[in-house]
Amino acid sequence: MRLPGTGNAADNPQERTPGDDPRQVPRAGNGRAPNVMRIGAWVPMRQYVDDDEVDFVIVGTGAGGGTLAAKLAEHGFTVAALDAGPYWRPLEDFASDEMHQSKLYWTDERIVDGENPLQLGSNNSGKSVGGSTVHFAMVSLRFRPDWFKARSLLGYGADWPLDWREMWDYYGEVEQTLKIAGPVTYPWGPKRSRYPYRAHELSASAKVLARGAEALGIAWTPTPIATLSAPRGDAPPCVYRGFCTLGCSTNAKQSVLNTWLPRALKAGAEIRDLAMVGRIETKHGRATGVHYHREGRWRFQRARNVVVAGYAIETPRLLLMSASSEFPDGLANSSGLVGRYLTVQGNQAVWGVFDEEIRSYKGPPSLAITEHWNYEDRGKDFSGGYCYMSQGPLPTLWGKTQATARGLWGEALVAEMQRYNHVAGLKVVSEYMPQARNRVTLAEETDQYRLPIARVTYSWCDNDRAMNRHALAFMRQALEAAGGREIWDQENDTCHLNGTARMGDDPRTSVVNADCRSWDIPNLWICDGSVFPTVGGVNPSLTIQAIACRTADRIKALAACGDLSGAASASPKRALAWAS
Amino acid sequence: MTWFAAGRPQHSGSGPRRHFHPRSDVANTNAAQRLNHGSTLLAASVLLDSGLEHYRGQYFNRAMYTPVLVSSAVLASSLHGAGDAGARSSRVRHAVQALAGLTGVVGLGFHAYNVGKREGGYRWENLFYAAPIGAPFALTLAGVLGGAAERVRDADPRDALLLGLPAGPLLAAGTALGLAGTVGEAGLLHFRGAYHNPAMFLPVSVPPLAGALLAWAAVRGSGRRPLTRGWLWATAALGLGGVGFHTYGISRKMGGWRNWSQNLLSGPPLPAPPAFTGLALAGLAALDLLERREHA
Ligand SMILES: Cc1cc2nc3c(=O)[nH]c(=O)nc-3n(C[C@H](O)[C@H](O)[C@H](O)COP(=O)(O)OP(=O)(O)OC[C@H]3O[C@@H](n4cnc5c(N)ncnc54)[C@H](O)[C@@H]3O)c2cc1C
Ligand code: SF4
Repeated sequence: MRLPGTGNAADNPQERTPGDDPRQVPRAGNGRAPNVMRIGAWVPMRQYVDDDEVDFVIVGTGAGGGTLAAKLAEHGFTVAALDAGPYWRPLEDFASDEMHQSKLYWTDERIVDGENPLQLGSNNSGKSVGGSTVHFAMVSLRFRPDWFKARSLLGYGADWPLDWREMWDYYGEVEQTLKIAGPVTYPWGPKRSRYPYRAHELSASAKVLARGAEALGIAWTPTPIATLSAPRGDAPPCVYRGFCTLGCSTNAKQSVLNTWLPRALKAGAEIRDLAMVGRIETKHGRATGVHYHREGRWRFQRARNVVVAGYAIETPRLLLMSASSEFPDGLANSSGLVGRYLTVQGNQAVWGVFDEEIRSYKGPPSLAITEHWNYEDRGKDFSGGYCYMSQGPLPTLWGKTQATARGLWGEALVAEMQRYNHVAGLKVVSEYMPQARNRVTLAEETDQYRLPIARVTYSWCDNDRAMNRHALAFMRQALEAAGGREIWDQENDTCHLNGTARMGDDPRTSVVNADCRSWDIPNLWICDGSVFPTVGGVNPSLTIQAIACRTADRIKALAACGDLSGAASASPKRALAWAS
Repeated sequence: MTWFAAGRPQHSGSGPRRHFHPRSDVANTNAAQRLNHGSTLLAASVLLDSGLEHYRGQYFNRAMYTPVLVSSAVLASSLHGAGDAGARSSRVRHAVQALAGLTGVVGLGFHAYNVGKREGGYRWENLFYAAPIGAPFALTLAGVLGGAAERVRDADPRDALLLGLPAGPLLAAGTALGLAGTVGEAGLLHFRGAYHNPAMFLPVSVPPLAGALLAWAAVRGSGRRPLTRGWLWATAALGLGGVGFHTYGISRKMGGWRNWSQNLLSGPPLPAPPAFTGLALAGLAALDLLERREHA
């Protein structure tokens, strides 16, 4: 129950922001972890010492790792989840300041190259307990069923080893957990259960999308989104201030930090913040634990199973960094595919000026969407699909976009910024093709932990370019139809990294199997966006969480029939007496 | 019953409706006052609710002042009626109530138009967020109840008629309909809130039952109805309890009551639930008339 009158620290001058800096000193420890829902409060946390051989050590607590930690702990396994990032208290630590909030991003150095080098940072990866979901845009979409068999049914990419009907059930579980606010009926794809919460009111930019779609005769809908449209426990409903991609300071956003991880803690998992894993140790073909850096020194956590869930760059990086005499090419890499098939999604946009006020900063950025081109294959000169949604750039980001994507500076930039309140845009999330040449490798340079930094190589293929052309032209038409003037294209943006440790049925063409278990090392698992063989034309986090739920259930089933090769206890321990 | 035995004028039954000016028709006056109470509560609910919501809408359209003014007038006239123990109807009050009835219908039209003109037209999301389609009808109900109060005051004590029909059953049926509408409104908005609190099911379970019992009473026409009475009282209590729940609802928004100036506008509407109390009181008045009809 939420006590009347409790807001966040900013609301109440009597509440002070915490004196500690979670980037310098870990917050989880001494038998407790932050209660992220209450100012200054804590919850009890079970703790392991490094010599304890936990059932699962999980590297990364984002969409994949955090979800898995909760589910495995609830299944009765002992779990220690490590994250390189800090343990934020959103009510106290998050400021309504675009510059300040860049503290959420993974901005460690990386090298980018290829024909179309990626922009890395704010728009792709987070470094926080809770992972990128702490600053994601909350769009929560299901894959089109055919995408799970893209090669067989649609003739491109690769088939997934998963069945869409099974995924549909897990999508339902995740949507319930995040209390997704969505439309009463969803216009595309097979029947789905009703979204747990009702859709939010459309913002002005969402109305622009709706008008455009209606003018062009295609369907649109309020976006299913992971921020509350009604209260839930200690979390208030969304207040539409639009700071979602910079960290929601009300906890209305249902991130991994405030949904799965409290559950994980309750079920007895330990979460270790500011714990950067640098190497997975192996012995006799099995993983034995992880070396991690915390509080100024390297330590080693023993584990019966290691799960890597560090996002599509850090996951392959860690696997490659863990090369040993036994596995000279890196772990789980007998196929040579670790780091390959890095697949991003297109994020091009069209922008225009409107007579009416749009005020982009009001509300979550994407409150309306159309998946028309995900489900319609006629009239395409490319493979794959895309959706597009309304946008809500905040002023600093908008200024930066003007300067970088459009090259405006000085007086021209000032003049453009003065029209900020009248600008609306449509932004695509499009399915680029998986290509072996797009990859993550290790560079010569090292980072602050003396670990080799990642080199990210990326180039478009012809199909990707055709998709960009189609999407930009169509969105331009839609924006014009909605009354937009002086429309311009933002051509170079990408988002959402996946691939790099793809799942499949064949050890020669994939890194993990359908259970996210590596083919080469039976007690090494990979559970994040890296396992995607293709990316589909929708944002990935719902699918990542659904896969994590499935993986946990599969691990439980495998353990029950003794198929974890003695790695984890065959009958998961239920008793968690420590908590009582 | 003694008043009737004391030789009150008889109503001739099928002939044109006569105006009665009995010296002290306590029973009719009581029913009328109860109707006035109902009307008062509905009018107060409309006044505060439309006042808040239209303030939230910054009165960008001048017409948005109308329900505030009209519901104030109804409120005043119903309060006046409720305090009037006399048995004469008042033309002024009657006129005000009629105006309110009409304003509500016009408001309904406005709100319905407002929903339809939004992107996507008549779809769920617009019903949730556009001007609440059923709300103005509460003003009509307030007016109708107030108008009925005037008629009942003035009617044949043994067989009160409204629009040429027996007042008891007609009022019972009308109130049942009003309850159905109000339940629809609460149901829609609680659906919009995803029934996240089990208590949100109360207004879609208690009043509908009361409404059904009342409708049944209207059909049967007579007889004592303790169960119906009980449910109507429960509905009346629910209307007041709803204010408490909505108070709690507001406390669950960001900043809670400390941020009242914002949350009062965006949270669950505090003045809405007493509409149920108003209708329940009207239902009780209808029951009074029904029961008396039998005993006449
Ligand atoms: C601005 C933005 C908006 C987005 N919007 C959406 C959206 O609207 N909808 C959607 O579906 N998706 C969205 N995404 C994408 C989504 O957030 C990611 O796809 C998803 O979170 C990826 O999950 P993951 O588990 O692979 O990695 P993450 O969630 O990024 O978690 C990885 C975690 O691992 C930690 N880590 C990495 N390496 C190590 C190591 N060696 N040791 C210890 N810890 C490590 C990191 O600190 C991080 O916390 C958005 C992303 C961004 C950045
Ligand atoms: S708009 Fe809603 S989800 Fe976004 S930051 Fe504000 S409260 Fe959080």
